[in-house]
Amino acid sequence: MALIAFHLDSRSGVPTYLQLVQQVRHAVQLGILQPGDQLPTVKEVVTSLAINPNTVLKAYGVLESDGIAEGRRGQGTFVKTSAPAPLGDDFGKLRRSLRQWFAQARAAGLDEQAIEALLSEQHSSARRVA
Amino acid sequence: MIWLSWRLQRTETLVVLGVLALLTAWLVPTGLNMWDAYQHNSLGACIVHQALRCDSAIGLFRARFGGISNLASWFNLLPGLIGVLLAAPLVSDLENGTYRLAWTQSITRRRWLLGKLGLPVVAALLAAGGLIALFSWWRTPIAHLDGRLDTGVFDTTGTVMLGYTLFALGLALALGAVWRRTAASLIVGFVAYFAARIMVDFKLRDHLVAAVHATWRGRPPASFNNAKVLNFFATLHGHRVISGGGFTGGGVKFQAPNLNKALFHAVYQPESHFWPLQLTETALFTGVALLLIAFAAWRILRTD
Amino acid sequence: MNAAFSTHELGKRYGSQWALRDCTLEIPRGSVTALVGPNGAGKTTLLRLAVGLSRPSAGSVRVLGLDPHADAAEALPRVGFLAQEHPLYGGFTVAEMLRVGRKLNPAWDDEAARARIAELDLPLKKKVRSLSGGQRAQVALTLTLAKRPALLLLDEPVASLDPLARREFMQSVLEAVAERELTVVLSSHILADLERVCDHLVILAVGRTQLVGPIEEIVASHRLLTGPRDDAGEVARMHDVVRESHAERQTTLLVRANGHVYDARWTVHELDLEEIVLAYLGQDAARRREAVAS
Repeated sequence: MALIAFHLDSRSGVPTYLQLVQQVRHAVQLGILQPGDQLPTVKEVVTSLAINPNTVLKAYGVLESDGIAEGRRGQGTFVKTSAPAPLGDDFGKLRRSLRQWFAQARAAGLDEQAIEALLSEQHSSARRVA
Repeated sequence: MIWLSWRLQRTETLVVLGVLALLTAWLVPTGLNMWDAYQHNSLGACIVHQALRCDSAIGLFRARFGGISNLASWFNLLPGLIGVLLAAPLVSDLENGTYRLAWTQSITRRRWLLGKLGLPVVAALLAAGGLIALFSWWRTPIAHLDGRLDTGVFDTTGTVMLGYTLFALGLALALGAVWRRTAASLIVGFVAYFAARIMVDFKLRDHLVAAVHATWRGRPPASFNNAKVLNFFATLHGHRVISGGGFTGGGVKFQAPNLNKALFHAVYQPESHFWPLQLTETALFTGVALLLIAFAAWRILRTD
Repeated sequence: MNAAFSTHELGKRYGSQWALRDCTLEIPRGSVTALVGPNGAGKTTLLRLAVGLSRPSAGSVRVLGLDPHADAAEALPRVGFLAQEHPLYGGFTVAEMLRVGRKLNPAWDDEAARARIAELDLPLKKKVRSLSGGQRAQVALTLTLAKRPALLLLDEPVASLDPLARREFMQSVLEAVAERELTVVLSSHILADLERVCDHLVILAVGRTQLVGPIEEIVASHRLLTGPRDDAGEVARMHDVVRESHAERQTTLLVRANGHVYDARWTVHELDLEEIVLAYLGQDAARRREAVAS
């Protein structure tokens, strides 16, 4: 049985392989996956999601080149021992400031839709710069 | 490939075997009766010696078995039925598109076709062989009386049934290769088979081997015995006194007391022509059958 | 020869009608390629040419470096083909169908075939005729996969299936890709899920190839531009305009961009695969209307 289960949001517009990459990153960051843990095999992912195996291979390739995972010949892909440590303090700090920001936005009279529009605009422009 | 062809032809083969079994069930008892009557009255000896006392015995025999013998001419349909039936598996493969399944496995079209054509050809020949064996035994008494050139006897003995069966198979295959519809190809193939058979039986057969032209006075030549007469007349002092054709029954003495001086003229196929006629007709049907099968194969191979 | 499947100016004519024309494409090994186009675009013709069911009228076709017709004996065992109607012998049981596969394929993997049938809960003793459409498709796929092909050609494999059977079928195909070196080309007029399943795309329309390439590149290079009316000329000089539409004050262009669109007058939007494919197919429809009008 695989340690984590991937899921896909087909309406997000985010390419499938990136969704997989993000989900592994999250799991590592949140401590769900520990160093040395095995990622779901390509076959397992294909079976559960009915996606192209090449997409899974590509996602795992990205994780490897990012230093998050490593492939072991004939065994599968594993979370690398040297994976970045889960965000401890930083995580909490960011969360607090975000909460603050939401409060400010509401105080400024923005409704849900306006907040979402602003967030996604900033998110995508930040992504483009990155 | 052989297993697959056999599996696809299983039903048809069983039907053919069923027909042969039914036929055997009917032919064996009637045949035994006929042989019994034939031997009981020593008709064999009668025919050889052409004794006068035989006439009534032969007459009785004919009266008893003539009906069955005439009924048996329907057996001419059997090679046609068997032939078109054995074409069904290949044609239905074409109709249902399952040939594409076979063509996209690992074997080439040629190998596939070899199996799909080879098996029905073998089955057709075996079935025809069975029919020939059955009928030859069953018909022998009648053949002794009427000669082997009698249409009813000729069509069901010797080798011609091999050609007939292959011919019907070839017809249905060729039609099916063009049409790709099983029922239509089989029905039209059978009708065409029947038409061709009638044509050959009544028009062509007598001319397949050159007939004998004979002229005599008094006793007819030995070869006239049991011959199939195509034309016959007698002249007396240059005037035609009798004309007609038909068979000269072996047991019936040819009597023409008033025509002792008459000159007889006849065109006929003597019984000695039985094998030349059989082989020529078999070759004719088999040749056309092979052409038809080759056409079907060509047509199927260039499908795209 | 690294392509699993390639054609060069391939054409097929039935009578005076070209079913496929000028088709040039190259599909790399190990890819899963979608062959997309409206009905009658020549998808089936192309796949039939690839497996040697049809012979080209023009040009050439190669599968795994072989000519599917001249080298049939060598090519056939390595190419799996599944026709749209999933032809099977209706009177055969599932077990007998497997026997057909075993008898007709030297590289037949009987163990894998039986395992698949068991996994799918297909009754071995049932006649093919009495199976559901989805089950028949799975039997046909089992037959094709157990042949152990290096190239798998699927003609509208899921068109006749319900959504669940569709998903299960594609899962089976993709699992096979994950298990071994296998190139898949599948034709489809169903666009949903293509991006998930495929990594390469071929768009066929009016019997010609309109677009060939990796899906990622295709998605990355196509953009929707909105801007002031009648300014399309400059964009068209730089980029290939696939579709153009005009409102009273605004022009919308769908372009295949050659590099970045720098012109500040245009707002650039990203597109998903389905929109891009539809744009090409729409282009085809427009061309056909013109052809009828002229």
